[in-house]
This record gives sequence, structure tokens and C-alpha cells, in this order.
Amino acid sequence: MGLGRKTRRTILERKAQYFGTAALIALSCLLYTLFNQLSFNTDAGTAAFVTDYAQEDASFVTAAPLSGISGLEARFGLLIEQGESFDDTVSEGRTLRVFAEMSKVNKYAVIKGRPLSAENDLLLDPAYAKTNGISIGDTITIRGSSFTVAGFMSLPHYIYPLKKESDLLNAPGSFGIAVIGKDKYKSFETESHFYSVKVMGNAGTNADAKLEELKKHLKQQGTVILKWMNTDENPRVTLSTSKMDSMKTIGSIMPVAILLLTCVLTAVVMQRMLARESVIIGTLYAQGYRRGEITRHYLCYPLFVALGGAVAGTVLGLAALRPMLDYMTGYFNIPIASVSLSITHLAVSLLLPLGLLLVSVYAAIRRKLVHTPIELLRGGGEQRKTGFLERRAKLDRLKFAAKFKIREQLRSVPRSLFLLLGVALATMLLLLGFTMKSSIDYMLKDSYESTYKYRYEYMFNSMRQGAPPNGGETFSAAPFASGPGSPINFTAYGVISDTHSISLNNRNGKPIAFDRVVITKPLAERLNVKPDDTIKMVSKLDSRLYSIKVDEVADSYVGELLFMPLESFNELLGFPAESYLGVWSQQPLNIPDHELLSSSTAAEMRQAFDSLTQPMQAMLGVISLLSFMIGLIVIYVVTSLIIEENKDNISLMKVLGYRKKEVYSLILNSSAVTVVLGFLLGVPLLVFSLKAMYRSLADSAGIVMPVKMSVVYVGVGFVIIYLIFELSKAMSKKKIAAIPMAEALKSRAE
Amino acid sequence: MFVHLHRVKKSYGTGETAAVVLKGVDLELGKGEVGVILGPSGSGKSTLLNLIGGIDHADSGTVTVGGSDVTGLNDNGLVEYRREHVGFIFQFYNLIPNLTVGENVEVVSHISKAPLPIDQVLEAVGMLDKKSRFPRELSGGEQQRVAIARAVVKNPQLLLCDEPTGALDFNTSRDILKLLQSINGDYGTTILMITHNTAISAMAHRVYKVRDGEIVETLANASILPAERMEW
Repeated sequence: MGLGRKTRRTILERKAQYFGTAALIALSCLLYTLFNQLSFNTDAGTAAFVTDYAQEDASFVTAAPLSGISGLEARFGLLIEQGESFDDTVSEGRTLRVFAEMSKVNKYAVIKGRPLSAENDLLLDPAYAKTNGISIGDTITIRGSSFTVAGFMSLPHYIYPLKKESDLLNAPGSFGIAVIGKDKYKSFETESHFYSVKVMGNAGTNADAKLEELKKHLKQQGTVILKWMNTDENPRVTLSTSKMDSMKTIGSIMPVAILLLTCVLTAVVMQRMLARESVIIGTLYAQGYRRGEITRHYLCYPLFVALGGAVAGTVLGLAALRPMLDYMTGYFNIPIASVSLSITHLAVSLLLPLGLLLVSVYAAIRRKLVHTPIELLRGGGEQRKTGFLERRAKLDRLKFAAKFKIREQLRSVPRSLFLLLGVALATMLLLLGFTMKSSIDYMLKDSYESTYKYRYEYMFNSMRQGAPPNGGETFSAAPFASGPGSPINFTAYGVISDTHSISLNNRNGKPIAFDRVVITKPLAERLNVKPDDTIKMVSKLDSRLYSIKVDEVADSYVGELLFMPLESFNELLGFPAESYLGVWSQQPLNIPDHELLSSSTAAEMRQAFDSLTQPMQAMLGVISLLSFMIGLIVIYVVTSLIIEENKDNISLMKVLGYRKKEVYSLILNSSAVTVVLGFLLGVPLLVFSLKAMYRSLADSAGIVMPVKMSVVYVGVGFVIIYLIFELSKAMSKKKIAAIPMAEALKSRAE
Repeated sequence: MFVHLHRVKKSYGTGETAAVVLKGVDLELGKGEVGVILGPSGSGKSTLLNLIGGIDHADSGTVTVGGSDVTGLNDNGLVEYRREHVGFIFQFYNLIPNLTVGENVEVVSHISKAPLPIDQVLEAVGMLDKKSRFPRELSGGEQQRVAIARAVVKNPQLLLCDEPTGALDFNTSRDILKLLQSINGDYGTTILMITHNTAISAMAHRVYKVRDGEIVETLANASILPAERMEW
């Protein structure tokens, strides 16, 4: 068929429309490929932890060392290994948690370098090493001993290396993990230990039952369990999973949304082209071309656009995969040796745009070809009926410019709809970064800083009684679930009634006294309780069921927490009176390391926040760039379409004596209202989506975040979207200027 | 003379491909007169009209309208000239399809300094009752009436018509010509019209016969025929 050259020339003549569409496809394929291949690789890495590195199913801490471990293993079908760690303050504000190498459970995975071999070898987590400028082969000193960094590793129970379980963010600048040989570890003589348990065989659903049996047995043996945590509750594992899950959600929704948008755009562009080419199609028909041949010719346009965009986007996505994986593994220590590719995702990325576009364009072409050649030769396809909205619009009272612009938008509803959705999507992406930052700002800065008033927190590795160290304020904490087998977990704190370390306000902003039972708002929302309701809670330590009446709900987003007086806490759990597990203070306390399970400072939260801000700003930049590109392409393509469709009108206006500025204003500003409406639509859509996303985050990781949208950010977002519109207008002015007046003088029949 | 062309030349292209369209045209038309330009396709009629209307630049010679030298105007000057002084009527009406009849007239009235009332003009062309219709809902003759209303609403000194009846049947054409004649009478608008139809020259004060880029004959018509009496 001799129409091949026509395809090429038409595409080159209308570069903005066709290349714009291809760019949108490329963008969606890039995102699809990048996110999904990333998930594929991280999934494989996470699975390797379970299969190759014996990730624990639970860990626990007992008041006294456990005896008869091998007997317990045999009896319950478990692997149990005692783990040991201590925190070494490398420098002011920088802590390294040093683990003894384990051989049965939680085996370290070497990411780079070599395994431990010499006595003074040490393996570091890569994020800590990178942030603190430590390379393989460097020497670091821990408690007076020199160690050589043999390599970088990850631990299956510390995928996301949080210092405290209540932390939300890791701070590689101030906290890291290291593994050293067992023998070397013994030389430090620490008493801090924990037990890691792995259920043997294909654990599946009976893993929890086996762990429950073990817990019950230990209790019957008189073992005091100070802490128990199943892996599916371990934030150092679940936070990484939930963050990767949200990446998967983004990876599956965002590119498909862009792709659908592109389909609408392509269909609009193709329908416009077919409308313009009625006479040509009629001529081809009259000359003996078959419908199939004409259909095939017009399918070449989406074929080139979809193939070009899909191939370019997929290739770019694959090219970005390795650097992105390196970036990811810097945060989640997942062992990924080499990049592997999912053929399914590759095929989807290459073929989905093609399929969607061909179908949408095929439908448009077939609609055109129902006309007879004579109808087409008379421009039959172009003569459309006046739309319902056009007819119904009562614009008499408006000024001419307003009427013209509104009519222009009503002229092609699919085109206006595409612009509306495109701007809404760009707005959502743009404000997504801003809003997430607002939420985290609010949660960490406002909520944490106004709640936690202490500067130092020390957790003991065994129950303490008697007076606290000078200047310290005692407290206890224990993990609970909201019922047997409930997925809602929370921490209960026992605090002294006149505590100065914690401060909470009620809904009216009034301070809450700690002589009663208080729960935080996120927990109240998840449990659906209000003051004076009674809740049931199961201790994670001894599996006992308790009922407790809630007196107040605190208007705070610090986490899912319950506070009660320390005496009541001890009484409820059967702990000795005046016993406690931790101390809060305003100044550093001199507590020997071997008595501590962990210690932290309030400043670390700030550091964690700061360490998050940096990658978040980078992410914000990438998302903003993405939204900028989508916004620009969508608006530019629609503006090009409007100019194309108004060629004769623009020419006529010039003949009639319209000044350049007047023509620009009428034609280019006709989309302004749609752009503003798109923005206004994007804001509630984003709030709705974020609420859904945060809800799923609450379900999967137990993090409850408020959706905070700052008016300033919304204003900035609007300015950016409008600037994109202005930029697109500026880019289009040349096209208008180039339309000759002679166009109006050529024959044109309505 | 209200319209005065002196030795106007125009060619398109350069070198060997240059096509000389006007070869030194002289033309005069008095204020309030109707002029008809007759000639075959490709003779240069439209180019002549474009130069008088300020749509195109002459290569040499002068075009004077109402005492102003149009050839001396720059692009912005030509915009102001077209905006204030000239009305255009095209063979295929060139209405904006997604604007109503009233809005199509408003396209011009809203940029004019002293436009006539839209309803008055629509009434004059017999289209007031169809003010809210869209062009595609009108017949060819009705569309041309709207186009005339659009051209007249600014009350131009000069009305340029490019084959205004070229796409219409006999009766409709005669109605349109009658309308143009009444506008000429009522508003004193000078009208210059291009046509293939020699019969139309009967309503003109002056007739210019163009052939091969030159005016080969100018006729003054002393006995103007009313449009309703014209036959072809």
C-alpha cells in the first residue's frame, strides 16, 4: 500500500500531538517497568531471607537465660538460637549495634565484600557505611578493639535498621548495625541476649500455633518473658515490606493511569485526524481501497506511537533499574546479587500500550468507516451534530471572550475531559510529595516533639525495682494485641502519674493527666472506641486476656499507644510493685552498657527525620518533575489540538482585524477554566487516595498518619500548574503566528 | 476617489518559479459606489481584493483607501485598518461553526470601536429570529446573510465580497445581492465585489474586467439595475 509516506509525513507535520502521546506512553512504561521490576527483584531478595538465611519467625527476651534449648527445639520442631548484641556509642549521637554472628537463625547475608573469617573481621550495614564514609578494608574501633570492615551485610530481622521498634524511620547517620564473630563477641562480656526462633519445615499457618505452644510451655516452666515479638509484627521487617508494598501499588496504579490517559488522548487525536481526512478516506474508498486496507493504514499511527513509546520507556526503565536497586538496598538491606528480569512485566510493558491504543483507535476508525464513500467525500464525517451541552449552554449574559472560551471547551468533550484528567493527575502527583511531607512534618515535628519531653531513654535488659538512677523517671512498656489473633497491635506504657516525660492533649487541646487510662487517636480509630468504653487486650508476653476501661483519647499521632499509671500497669500484668523496665531523663545517666537492652536520645528522632528529609526531597523532586512533564505534555498536546482545529478561525480572526494578543487570548486561554477545574478536582482526589493509602499503611505496618494538606503547598501547587499552562501557551504562540490569513480565504463549507 | 490603486504589482515566489499575478494595476472607485471585478480563475481578482483589504502586501505601486495609503502600513497598521475600515464577505461564509448566529456577529462587534447594535443588523439581514441557531442548522443563503451581518456590524467604509453568491442558487443569490444593494443604499457603504457572474455587473457603478494580471477594461454604469430585476 502506497500510503506509508503519508503516515510518516502526517506524524512529522503534527509532531506535538504524536510525539507528545509517545512521550506519555514512554513515561508510563518507564514507571511500570521500573517499579515492577524493582518489586520483582526485592521480592526475590526478601524471599531469600526466609529460605537461604533462616529469617526468624519470632524473637523473645527472658529475665533469665534459657536452658535446655535443644530439648525445646526437638519438642516443638523449632530452631532456637541465642542472639547477642550491644550498643556501642561510636561518637556523640552515633550508635552501632553490634551482633554476634548467628549460625542457625538470622544468618547474615553478604551484600558486598567477603564473609567473616579473621577474628577481628566485622561486617557493616551498607547504609551506615555509606552515610559515614566507611569502605571495605577500613578499620573501626569498638570498645577499644580494632576491627577490619570485611564487607557489607544484611540481617534478616533487621531489613530496615531501626534503632527502636517504635521508630518509624531509620537514621543511617546516627545508627547502624554490625556483625562480628561469636568468639570475639564473647570477649566483650555483655549480658544482653535474646532468642530467635524459626519454625522448622513448611511453617505456614501452624507457625503461630507452634510459637504459642512454646510461649505457653515457657510460662509453665516459670520463665519470665520480658519481650516477645513475632516477625510479622517486627517493624524492622514489616516496615520494609509495607514500603515495598506501597511501591508496588504505585507501580501498578500510576503507569496504568497515565496509560489510560494516553489512550484517551490518542483516541482524541485520531478522531480529529479522521475528521480532517474525511474527504481523503472517501477518495480512497472511491478509488477501490477496501475497509481493511484503510483500517490498516490508520492503525499505523497508534502502532508507531505505541511501539516507539513502549520500547523507549521500557528501555529507560530497565536502564534505571540497577541504580534504583542500589538506592533501595541502601535503605532496606536486602541481598540482591544480580538483577533479574520478570518476562511477564517486560511483555506487559511492551504490549499493553500497543493493545490498548490499537483497540481504542480501531473503534474510532470503524465508526468513521460506517459512512459511505459519497458521505465521506462530502465531508460527511466532519459534519457533526451540535452537542447537547453546546445547545444547552445559556451564555447570553456573558462577555464574548467568555462565551468563545466556553464554547471551545464544549466543542470536544473528550478533549476537555482528557485535559481535565491530565491536569488532575499532574496535580495529584505534584501535591503527593508536598502532602506526604506535610503529613510527616506534622507527625514527627508537631506530634513527636510535643509528646515526648524526655531527652534520653534507657531500656533495661531485665526487670528493675527500687529507686531509679538519679534524675530518671521510671516507666514500663509491653506489647499487646486487641484480641486473640487480632492484627491490631499496640504498646502499653506504664508511666508515673505526674510524669514530665510525656505530654498529651485531648481533642480540645487541654493537657491530659496520667492518673487514668489514655489511648492515642490512631488506636482509638482502629479499635473504634471512645472514652469510657472497655477494650480487650491480649499480652504478647504471656498471651493472657485483659479488659481495661479507656478514660481518655489523646489527640496525638505518635503511634498506637496506651498509657496507664505504672502501679496499675504492674498490678495488671502481675509484676512486682514499683518495678520498671526503663528510665526517661533529661540528662545522660551513667548506666552500665551490660544492663541495657537499648538507649536512645530524643535528638535521634530529629536525626532520623533529617535523614528522611534528604531522600524525600529527592523523591519530591522526581515526582514534581514527573508531574511537570505530564502536565506540560497534556496541556501542550491539547493546545496543539485546539490550534489545529481552529486554524480557519484563527485565520479568519486575523482577516477580521484581531490583534495578535486578542487571538492568543481567545484561543490559548480557552483551556484556562479546564486547567483550574482539573487542579480543583485533583486536590480532593489526592486526599481521598492518600487516606486510602494511609489506611492500608495502618493495616500493614501499624503506622497511622494524618492527611495534612498545607494551604501554602496547595497554593504553590496551583502556581506550578498554572505556570506549566503559561509555558505551554508560550510554546504554542509560534504556531498561531504561523497560520496565514489565506486559510480563511480558501473554500470552506459548513 | 475612495479606493485608488496606482501601478500595483504583485508576484509570488522568486527566480524562475516566480509567478507575476498583478502587472501594474490601476483602479478607482468612488465613495458609496458598488464595484464589480469580473474575470476568469487565476486572473488575479482575489489578489487584488487581498491587497485592497490589507491582507497582503503589494510589491510596488500604491493602494489608497479613504485617503490612507494602505501600502505604507506595517503589519500592525494593517490590523488596525482591517479592524476599523474593512468588512469581508467570503464565498463559503466562513462562520465559526461552534458559535451561534448572534455570537458569530459578535466576533466582529466586540472588537469594533462603534459597532451597530447586533439585533438591528440581524433584523436588517432577516436573521434575528435565528439568532440562537448554530451555522450548521442554517441554509447556505442564511449563512451568507449572517456573514453579511458580521461584515456590516462594524459599519465599515469598505465592504469586500469574494464571490458572495458563488455557492448559492439563483433565488438565494438574488436575495443576497438585494441585501448588499440595500446596505449600500442605507449605510452608504462602498462595496467591491469579485464574481464570475457577468449579470451581477448590472448592479455596479463600475465594472473592472481582469485578465492575466491586468485590468483590461473599466466600465462605468449609469443605469444601476435593482437586484430583484436581475436575471441570469
